[in-house]
Amino acid sequence: MLKADLASLFGRHEFFIRRLHSFTGLVPVGGFMVFHLATNASIADGVEIFQYRVNVIHGLGPSTIMMLEWPFIFLPILFHAIVGMMIVSRGKRNVTAYPYPENIRYTLQRWTGVIAFFFIFWHVFHMHGWLKFEWWLDSVAKPLGGHRFDPARVITAAEAIQASIWIRLFYIVGVLCCVYHFVNGIWTAGITWGLWISPRAQRTASGLALVVGLFLGGISAAALYGMNTIDTSEAQAGETISDPTAPPGKVPPEASIAERP
Amino acid sequence: MASFRVIVVGGGLAGLSATMKLAELGAEVWLISLTPVKRSHSCCAQGGINSVNNLTRQLGDSEWSHFEDTVYGGDFLQHQPPVKEMAEWAPRIIDLMDRLGVTFNRTPEGFRDQRRFGGTLYPRTAFAGATTGQQLLYALDEQVRRWEVTGHVRKFEFWEYLGPVLDENGVCRGCTVQDLVSMEIRALPGDALVIASGGCGVIFGRSTMSMACNGSAVSRTYQAGARYGNPEFIQVHPTAIPGSDKLRLMSESARGEGGRVWVPRRPQDPRPPHQIPEKERYYFLEERYPKYGNLVPRDIATREIFKVCTQEGLSVEKDRQCVYLDLTHLPRDLLDRKLGGILEIYEKFQGVDPRSVPMKIFPAVHYSMGGLWVDYERTAAGGLRIGSPRNQHTNITGIFAAGECDYQYHGANRLGANSLLSCIFSGLIAAPGILSYLKDGDQGARDRSPSSLFKQAERRQRERLEELLRRPQDGDNPYLIHQELGRVMTAAATVVRHNEELDRAYEKVLELEARAKHCALSDRGSWTNQNLVFARALEDMFPVAKAILRGARMRDECRGAHYKPEFEMPPITAKDPAEARRQAEAWCDRFEANTRRWLESTIATCDSGGEPAIHYEEVDTGLIPPRPRLYGLVGGQIIEQVWRERQQPQVAAAASSG
Amino acid sequence: MTDSSDSQRPGGPRPRQINVRVRRQDGPARRPYWETFALPYEPDLNVISVLQKIAALGRNAAGKSVPPVAWECNCLEEICGACTMLINGRVRQACTALVDRLLEQNPREIRLEPMSKFPVVRDLVVDRTRIFATLKKVSAWVPVDNYLDLGPGPRQSQENQEIAYLLSKCMSCGCCMEACPQFLKIEVRRLPGESEDDYRRREGEITNHAFMGAAAVAQIDLFNSNPIGAMNARERLDVLIGEGGIQVCGNAQNCVKVCPKEIPLTTSIARMGRAATIHMFRRWFDL
Repeated sequence: MLKADLASLFGRHEFFIRRLHSFTGLVPVGGFMVFHLATNASIADGVEIFQYRVNVIHGLGPSTIMMLEWPFIFLPILFHAIVGMMIVSRGKRNVTAYPYPENIRYTLQRWTGVIAFFFIFWHVFHMHGWLKFEWWLDSVAKPLGGHRFDPARVITAAEAIQASIWIRLFYIVGVLCCVYHFVNGIWTAGITWGLWISPRAQRTASGLALVVGLFLGGISAAALYGMNTIDTSEAQAGETISDPTAPPGKVPPEASIAERP
Repeated sequence: MASFRVIVVGGGLAGLSATMKLAELGAEVWLISLTPVKRSHSCCAQGGINSVNNLTRQLGDSEWSHFEDTVYGGDFLQHQPPVKEMAEWAPRIIDLMDRLGVTFNRTPEGFRDQRRFGGTLYPRTAFAGATTGQQLLYALDEQVRRWEVTGHVRKFEFWEYLGPVLDENGVCRGCTVQDLVSMEIRALPGDALVIASGGCGVIFGRSTMSMACNGSAVSRTYQAGARYGNPEFIQVHPTAIPGSDKLRLMSESARGEGGRVWVPRRPQDPRPPHQIPEKERYYFLEERYPKYGNLVPRDIATREIFKVCTQEGLSVEKDRQCVYLDLTHLPRDLLDRKLGGILEIYEKFQGVDPRSVPMKIFPAVHYSMGGLWVDYERTAAGGLRIGSPRNQHTNITGIFAAGECDYQYHGANRLGANSLLSCIFSGLIAAPGILSYLKDGDQGARDRSPSSLFKQAERRQRERLEELLRRPQDGDNPYLIHQELGRVMTAAATVVRHNEELDRAYEKVLELEARAKHCALSDRGSWTNQNLVFARALEDMFPVAKAILRGARMRDECRGAHYKPEFEMPPITAKDPAEARRQAEAWCDRFEANTRRWLESTIATCDSGGEPAIHYEEVDTGLIPPRPRLYGLVGGQIIEQVWRERQQPQVAAAASSG
Repeated sequence: MTDSSDSQRPGGPRPRQINVRVRRQDGPARRPYWETFALPYEPDLNVISVLQKIAALGRNAAGKSVPPVAWECNCLEEICGACTMLINGRVRQACTALVDRLLEQNPREIRLEPMSKFPVVRDLVVDRTRIFATLKKVSAWVPVDNYLDLGPGPRQSQENQEIAYLLSKCMSCGCCMEACPQFLKIEVRRLPGESEDDYRRREGEITNHAFMGAAAVAQIDLFNSNPIGAMNARERLDVLIGEGGIQVCGNAQNCVKVCPKEIPLTTSIARMGRAATIHMFRRWFDL
């Protein structure tokens, strides 16, 4: 009965929910992803640059970050993900009977969405831990393999990724799915909101989306390459040498603030 | 809810326009249709709808002229007042359809575009791409759906009409119907019944008509006592694409836009058509009918194509009779814009692009001019009294008929783009007449009708059904009987008719009818039993088939679509002017004698054994006196001259007395 | 299987026999089953003539006498929309499905199935009431005052006419819905003792909440662009963004590919998407 009520509630407000889904996918979630990938790609230029970028972000302070990341990142992601799963569950894919390019893209959008759902859910847990309460982090997240990223020591991200071949693979697949999902989502959002209408305009938009996709793919590749290939032991050693402003073994001031729970 | 309930059988243009207008006038309408009404056969009409318009008016056209063309094209066999009224309503009907959202083609200035059709000299035909019938049907379908939402109309789609329910005075009180899904039989009480079930082409096996056009609704009404007018007048469309399941129409608009009909002068010239030089092509319509060219009326085009293939042996192919209909000289963008739809049909079904290769076409049964006899009330001015209960009323009180299934508007031959008009017109004007009938007549008749009447009607239909289901398994297959019926009817009663052949065909049809009465069903179930529905419809094809054959057998003349070479009026053969004059006099004498004898409607009534009894009825030709129909006849000029001289004294007399 | 004398024909050798496999079902709630029919090969057939021949034959490939396959058809010119079914797994009209083409794809058999998104009535006949119910829901008509003589409709440009004509060719066949991954089958079973009217009403209430499909979106586009129809455009837009409205579309764009009338359905969907966006803001801010 509750399920039926929820379905009816969803049905009655579906237009707004779906538009919000489209919007959240684009702006907070997609936008954040681009920013996030760009930040991480800086690892390709060396750990110290990456550390610097992270320091800048975390310079906002943990309270501010929490104030920003929950309403502008996590909640939109959760909303987009849950609604997305409902959308997937309400479709009946038929790509074998109708193997048209757009239908393949539609189907991929569903598959990448589902993979991205699990990937992001786990990735946030893996690196961030979701909740920044000490008891949670210490007695739940960490024992379960989460909360591996220490913003003060960005190399912890690479360490976490390089921990096993499965994690490496999951990151490669997950990130590429997110990129596809976002880029194809830009194209479908343009139709949904009525930005590109005629088949010709939609083809042009498709081409542009492909360009954006290649660009983001490049950024992701840089980030993934950096994360996967950086020598974590060497980087740890190099970290102290390459940053002349920070005394060896000493944590930069911004990071130390960020580290406080 | 409304106090009157009208049952409409058929959801094509006529049925829908009647329904829409009846609903507007406040009646409750129950609409019975074999298919969802949006899938009715009207959607197959391609070319357009005729009316006088501001453009043609300035070229000298008028309502009268449209009326005259229709009457002349129909060889004077229709009562003139309804036709005159129809021509007068035509511009208003097109305006109405325009308001209802029909996507008529436009001129650059935004007016409705018009094209020229066969049998006329003016561009009178408004059109919506190459699917005008579809567009008109959809507009009416939409309006009826609107009335359905407000509760004025209730649709019974996938229901079949089984026959009228008549009370002891022979007044219609409703009808019996069957749900084609659950096979439930019901008698529906109604204050009036409108039959708008379309043509009967399926009797001819393959035709240009849809599968629902089997004439069974008309047949069941005819068997219940309704008269059937002019059954023998079956229009054969000159240009159809021969197919194994059906003969698909190639609209007259293909010729209207400049399509040319030809055959190679050398019989079965093996060269591909584009390699045959111009002077080795025989544009036989243009050569024989220089004034109308490829746009001669349908009966003439049909006969000429038929003759070129069968008598002159000039068919393009040896095994399959056909001629070229050539559009390849026209610009592709014009073809796409104006004929896109019909060219797609050809391409889809033949796999050849008609923009670059001439189409191969041959005549096919297309329209039944004849149908249920209906009445009308004439005004002093020679039009119809709108709102008269006599309009579209059959001889059975309470049963009306409209559309292709009535016999009223097209006489011996229908002009192109007049059918859509007559269907909408007859449906629209039937409505106020029906309301008058209901208001004048027995108020509350529905309640007083004893339920035993309906129970009895239901029982009779159930018995018929059970008899079909009980039949032994060793009988013939109804589908094979139908194929044979189609072959017999097509051979004997289409383009060319001979009395001996008609006699033989009648015998054969009787034999087939006997076999059909014992045909075996391979499906005896009681759920969506199409086998049973088909077998029953097949049985009902025979009374109509026999009326067609008998009507054709008895009419010893040529008129419109009815062509008997034995009785053809001879051309003027003499070269010497005096002799030619003498021949023309004799011609006119014979014409006058023939008019006196045969300018009468054939009226068939069905006796209890299903045999047609034929009598003839005078035609109201009071507005335009009959005159020879001389499209391209050799010596036509001299005949016309003689004819005009003969008419002179009459005209003078009429003038002096008036 | 091939006829050697025919192997010289253009298009290669033709089989001697046509095998037709039909997914049959005796009624709603009955178990579907496959039945094979065999016909001698003839050139230039379509699936309609194949079904007609099966009916005339009256027996299956095993020689057993069986009821003819039930199927729906009317015009046979691909303009009425009746004979829509799945042919070799793909939705289309049987009348334009040319046997020679199908045999080129698969010479072994032709596979016929009822549409999968509508409840099966019997064999290849499905119940498409939902399509017409949706046309009621979206007010797919021009709301004229009356049917009297009030002169012509508004003048329209050729460009408008050309777009409207394309949209107006929709024959409600259901191809776009069948191929749409977002359009789901709804089968409401009649309850014991329920009257036909009650059943239809209940079924209508359920389908009313479900996706309207591409055809209905294009109809809204059509009537909202008609100069008279535009007068109640807001009513239609309310339905467009209501339950089962345009938002369910997932942009798989199969609709436009399978539409036999080549209606620019995805163009309509995008155009209506824009209208819906604007309409949403107008509703919020009462513009």
